[in-house]
Amino acid sequence: MTRSIDWRRTFGLREAGVYYALLILLALLAAIAHSRGLPNYLSPQNLGNIVYQASLVGIMGVAMTVMLITGAFDLSVASVAALAAAVLVGLAPSIGFPLAAGAAIITAIAVGIFNGAVVQFVGINAFIVTLGTLTAVRGLVLVLTDGRSLMVERPDVLQQMLAFESTRVPIFWAALLFAATLLALAAWKRRPLDALAGIVVGALALLAGRDFTVAAPVVYLALFTLAVWAVLRFTVIGRRIYAVGGNAEAARLSGINVHAYKLGAFVLSSAAAGFAGVLFGCRLGAINPTALQGTELTVIAAAILGGTSLLGGAGSVLKTVIGALLLFTLTNGFNVLDLGASYQGLIEGAVVIAAAAIYTVGGDRRRARRATVDTAPQAPAVAEAG
Amino acid sequence: MVEAPLLQLRGLEKVWPNGTAALRGVDLKVRAGSVHGLLGANGAGKSTLIKVLAGAIPASGGDITWRGQTERWTNPRAARAGGIATIYQHIPLVPTLSVLENMLLEQAGGWRIDRAARDRAATVALSLGDPFDLDAIVGDLPIGTRQMVAVAQGLMSDPALLIMDEPTASLAGDEREQVYRTIRRLAGEGRAVLFVSHFLDEIVALTDEVTVLRDGRAVLGARTADLDEAAIAAAIAGRAVTVLERVERQRSTGEALLDVRNLTSPGKLAPTSFSATGGEIVGIAGMLGSGRSELLHAIFGADPAARGSVLVGGEQIGCEPAAAVAAGVALVPEDRAAQGFISGMTIAENIALPHEGWLIAPRREHDAAIAAIDDLAIKAPDADALVGELSGGNAQKVVIAKWLTPRTRVLLLDEPTAGIDIGARTDILRLIRRLADKGLAVLLVSSEFEELLAVTDRILVLRDGAIVGEADPATVDEAGLIQLASGTQSRTEIAP
Repeated sequence: MTRSIDWRRTFGLREAGVYYALLILLALLAAIAHSRGLPNYLSPQNLGNIVYQASLVGIMGVAMTVMLITGAFDLSVASVAALAAAVLVGLAPSIGFPLAAGAAIITAIAVGIFNGAVVQFVGINAFIVTLGTLTAVRGLVLVLTDGRSLMVERPDVLQQMLAFESTRVPIFWAALLFAATLLALAAWKRRPLDALAGIVVGALALLAGRDFTVAAPVVYLALFTLAVWAVLRFTVIGRRIYAVGGNAEAARLSGINVHAYKLGAFVLSSAAAGFAGVLFGCRLGAINPTALQGTELTVIAAAILGGTSLLGGAGSVLKTVIGALLLFTLTNGFNVLDLGASYQGLIEGAVVIAAAAIYTVGGDRRRARRATVDTAPQAPAVAEAG
Repeated sequence: MVEAPLLQLRGLEKVWPNGTAALRGVDLKVRAGSVHGLLGANGAGKSTLIKVLAGAIPASGGDITWRGQTERWTNPRAARAGGIATIYQHIPLVPTLSVLENMLLEQAGGWRIDRAARDRAATVALSLGDPFDLDAIVGDLPIGTRQMVAVAQGLMSDPALLIMDEPTASLAGDEREQVYRTIRRLAGEGRAVLFVSHFLDEIVALTDEVTVLRDGRAVLGARTADLDEAAIAAAIAGRAVTVLERVERQRSTGEALLDVRNLTSPGKLAPTSFSATGGEIVGIAGMLGSGRSELLHAIFGADPAARGSVLVGGEQIGCEPAAAVAAGVALVPEDRAAQGFISGMTIAENIALPHEGWLIAPRREHDAAIAAIDDLAIKAPDADALVGELSGGNAQKVVIAKWLTPRTRVLLLDEPTAGIDIGARTDILRLIRRLADKGLAVLLVSSEFEELLAVTDRILVLRDGAIVGEADPATVDEAGLIQLASGTQSRTEIAP
């Protein structure tokens, strides 16, 4: 599209603030590490590690972003993930890993359909419904596990699960290919921002080197983010998702099936939570009934850091992932640099509020660009058309 | 007239922080006991002027003299305490509170409601013709009644000057008449009323003096008695305009394109049957609450409770907006901002909303938006302008443009010209004729009976959710149509 770019807006705090925040934080942590004589903080291994730690929250955050764009809310994701992990760990020894994983995700989707149906067809607020399922599903996990940790004890199944979660995937050539695709697209469609993204990806790949590998969940996160991003950006479904959140009544009166889109968001959110639960179960081959408690708030915090509006109609999955990386960089930095874990929650909370403040105060620059073209109208005669 | 004016503005200016000048020197005098009309096209500066007078935004330059003293209100409360009450066009009422509590919102004091306050509210309500129950929840009331609540709320502070921003825009005939009576009564009591309206006839009938704004300047200030509608319209538009004029169109006599059979919705719509042929413009006349919007929503499948059948080109369509759209039915709803467009999306995106398919085709959509901007004379910087930033008339054109696809065969228009200045209104009415000439069947709901008479081929009259008659616009006049629509027994007469 021959759309001119508003550079001030694109690189303003509102649009790009979360990228700056991540870069500043990384630079700060690197400087502290250096001054204390610790190994290089910005090593590819450590960065890969951060992404790995953020991957579960990132996967749930991407789906949560879609949810928030449609104007709804899902508090139950962490409980649903724990339920999926419990189903996986409970069933895997008897029916094998692939079937158990399928059952776990189907269970999660069932919760999503329940959430969505109650919200859409009974008309209860999503916050209340999912607060209910948050508690109820956690209770179900306790019932299923009988309050104890479950473990997979069949070695062959455990092996499969570990392979699904911990395989190291070399990404050098894939990253280079992706960067090249972005650059080619940028050149073809004349989109300088895509070129910038391509250069960043390419440079990171070259810096990391040919032997660089990441854990499988990082790849799952990247593929899922890419797929959702593409759907939101390039498809009619994507636009309708934004439309449903921006003005549900206008969308309905434009012939859009609002119920289907809102229900779909709940299903996507729960399915993503189910997948994250499967990854979590595979990571340890075990499930503790209180696992992932409170993670739903981290997921929502990631989306808010990424600038997603709680009012619906706006949001970007890419920035949600960056938001998740920001949160986990904080966690990782506190651990690696031993900065005193007691301050971690305080700092994380302050960062979320500061981000929301920047989005609110620095926001709406686009609105300020008033349309001044509307002057006195010309008033031709109605009669001349006849 | 040596008496000093109640309110006098000299060279009032307002420049927004981004450099846009909304007011470029407005002079205005409002006398006590008079009704002063304020007119102007959308974007001429009326709303800004009202906000400055209400104390909601500060002026950048010029003087405000109020009761002989220079004033500069810094907040709405100060203006209100000084004796200026403002009723905004988009009624800021609390929908979850009762009428009484909304009227008492600004009252100080300890108790939530006391006997004296209730009596005072009841007196004010009575002076308005008692159009509402004091204990009704505002959110349950139809929009016209909410407007009356807002008027009542403004009167609670016993103001010397009442500013009304298009109070009648959403009202039907009898409720308008109530507002007119109220305005005359207030003027009779020695209060001044600054009355903003798009309706020239009510300005001429109601006001003593008129000020016309154009591009932030007062271009006309005169006694109403010395003016006529044409002169005022010319001042608004900046050049002479022709008044709406009926044109005889060729009657189409083909088969029914839209056939509505026994369409009904409990509590809203009695079983209704009618049909419209391609190329025909069918007007729907009715007072507020007569079921006009409900009829269109039922046809469009947007009313889940509706029963009956709607046939388009002989095929029955399902009771779902998506099914209606697929069959070529399009609805331009009454409340643009809440139902028509998505304010955070661009013109191109809004126009592309009903499009089917999988992938977004940015270039095609952009071209379609540019074509619509040219074709419908939408005043916007480009296709990427946010619809929320456009003025009412231009946003409405975007909502209409959304449906101008080859698929659309039946166009349902619900008050397409409400709150729109005269230039854009003429554009839209001309467009409606053009679309009908292309073979679309058009249902046009409008509170402007004058519009219905000018553009439609026949008029169905709705009352209390049922079609009570049909009128031929060539033979009936506005008064006759009002009589048909309001019936023999006027409901307002029941009030004591």
